[in-house]
Amino acid sequence: MAEQAGSYSDAGIPLKPFYNPEDVADRDPAKDGRPGEYPFTRGLHPTAYTRTPWMMQQVLGAGMAEQTREIMNNLVSEGMEGYFGHKVFNVVLDNPSKGGVDPDQPEARGHVGVGGMSLSHLDDFRRLIAGWDLNTSNFSIITGDTCLVALAMFVVAAEEAGYEAGQIRGNSMNWLLKSFCVDNPDFPPRSATKLSAQLIKYATENLPYWNTTNISGYLIREAGANAVQELAFTLAWGIATIEACLELGLDIDDFAPRLGFQIAFHNDFFEEVAKLRALRRMWATILHERFGAQNKKSMQARVHIHTAGDTLMYQQPQNNIVRVALQTLGAVMAGVQSIHTCAYTESVEIPTPEQSRLALRTQQIVLHETNVPKVADPLGGSYYLENLTDEVEKAAYALLEEIDRKGGFVAAIESGWVKGTLVDELVRKHEMIDDGELVRVGLNKYQMEEAPESRPARFTVPPEIESEAIRKITEYKANRDQAAVDRALQSVREVAEADGYLMPVLLDAIRADATQGEVMDVLKSVYGWGFVTN
Amino acid sequence: MAYYSQAGEVTRGVPLHSPEPSATEGPRVRVVLGKKRFDAHDVGARYIMRKLVEAGMETIFIRFALVDELVEAAVQEDAHVIAMSILTGGHMVIAADLMEKAREAGLEDRLFVIGGVIADEDHPKLHDLGIDAVFGPGTKPEDIVSYIHKNVQVDA
Repeated sequence: MAEQAGSYSDAGIPLKPFYNPEDVADRDPAKDGRPGEYPFTRGLHPTAYTRTPWMMQQVLGAGMAEQTREIMNNLVSEGMEGYFGHKVFNVVLDNPSKGGVDPDQPEARGHVGVGGMSLSHLDDFRRLIAGWDLNTSNFSIITGDTCLVALAMFVVAAEEAGYEAGQIRGNSMNWLLKSFCVDNPDFPPRSATKLSAQLIKYATENLPYWNTTNISGYLIREAGANAVQELAFTLAWGIATIEACLELGLDIDDFAPRLGFQIAFHNDFFEEVAKLRALRRMWATILHERFGAQNKKSMQARVHIHTAGDTLMYQQPQNNIVRVALQTLGAVMAGVQSIHTCAYTESVEIPTPEQSRLALRTQQIVLHETNVPKVADPLGGSYYLENLTDEVEKAAYALLEEIDRKGGFVAAIESGWVKGTLVDELVRKHEMIDDGELVRVGLNKYQMEEAPESRPARFTVPPEIESEAIRKITEYKANRDQAAVDRALQSVREVAEADGYLMPVLLDAIRADATQGEVMDVLKSVYGWGFVTN
Repeated sequence: MAYYSQAGEVTRGVPLHSPEPSATEGPRVRVVLGKKRFDAHDVGARYIMRKLVEAGMETIFIRFALVDELVEAAVQEDAHVIAMSILTGGHMVIAADLMEKAREAGLEDRLFVIGGVIADEDHPKLHDLGIDAVFGPGTKPEDIVSYIHKNVQVDA
């Protein structure tokens, strides 16, 4: 395939062979301030990573609490750390747990403990956190739509372990609005933003160290978005979340500091760095100018990077090690707060301990051997990067305006426009890959025969996990006061139907030993449950 | 048009594209494409469906919890092709279930295909179960289209 005339960024922004001072002549560098100054284009901290490195938040989880703890222990012993040496556990649940389906339900068959940990009732949570010092351990539980119930379980388990609820640290995903980018059943968009706001209200009033929301550009990117769409839709998601919180009567500066982002770092190195700089500048500007935030922390976009899973190839999987390393370096140059590096086998399944260690080591090599983390915004001032940051921002603002014209993000999701935009872009990209216009090494160029025996080792979940999980939840249900469970679930239903404040009754339901699936069934029946499509 | 299933209703899936009347009127290949409800990965399925529609086929998209729902959809739609997109494993168990239920429903003469992240070593085992074709990562949609055209006769 001949080179096409002209060059473009991954999102389609025209590129020049070189950039000059005149390409940034009409911009005022002073308006970006220094690192740590509004609007935070150049990063959140003037000290770069010299006070503390970014958090190494490797996604982990498989089987039940016991198998998951084994992975946690491995990664801790291999040096996985958060800020100031804290433990950080980015625990992913299996798909039934994410969807609020208990392991004893027929729909869960074949999925229990696969691709994540099975978590369906309070005792699972007790076993997950037992022995960890909750003052120095962060738990980010990658839930799907169960985030309110999962948070209630964490609070109750922590209280039982002798902590005050207000001591827990970590992150709710709270990405309930994800139906437009994740093809799982979900709460409908309007219910989703309301429920998200409910979680934020509870955490704002009770959990000072809890990060309430992980606004997920990553999920949007993996669903087909380019960098500009990822940026615009992420911001629109954040705006919709803020509006739902304001409707609940919360004050912007009380809850905005605990909103955070999960963003992809994809292949187009400079465009991705530009995207992250533009995200910080746009978020700060929107918070300050549109929502009147005054607290500096409200305006700071804290970013967790997930290196981009969809850049990883099945073919010649070792090549993925190189892709992930480049993406990790880019994320650090962009000044992010936290990183998950994909294992090179993530294009197939969750990693073996060795594959997982190599992913962690990639971050540790960038941290200790490149000297890059010593200086904030090391690429700032590049004619190219500054120009590209402006171009990405301009294109994202244009998309945001289009969303506003459609009545906001929720309305744009409901109309099918958001999903349609993502599908059009994924078709465009895949056509370019099929035509060889976008090169994917090993897939459409430099292909070679690969013997099946040369494939990497595969992670396996012991087959008895499913029956073990069923046995545990059956036993749990057998040893409880069923009348108390029924009363608690009835209270959840009444509060939900009245559109009232849910977290107190969810906590009561967990204390009464209701399972996650039982509580979720009530919420699903009241708030709606299904797929948005187009 | 976008919509949500109502509260409490079982979602068995909806057509992704309403079939447009083809420029060349006549019988069209009908493909029921299933994706596990728990499998969040829909990029591959959507790309393939777009290409099948462009090739003049009718596609019906089902998110199934149990293969019974996929089989029921295939019966209702009188599908020529029953396809599954699987990216989160479990394909051996699901394929075995599917073929058993499909035989009970009298669908054994249809074309059964699976795509997604399917390890090479599993391909022969899937063929043994009665799956006609397995399309692994990186398969070009044109190869799938031509495979279907070669193997499906649409009666006038």
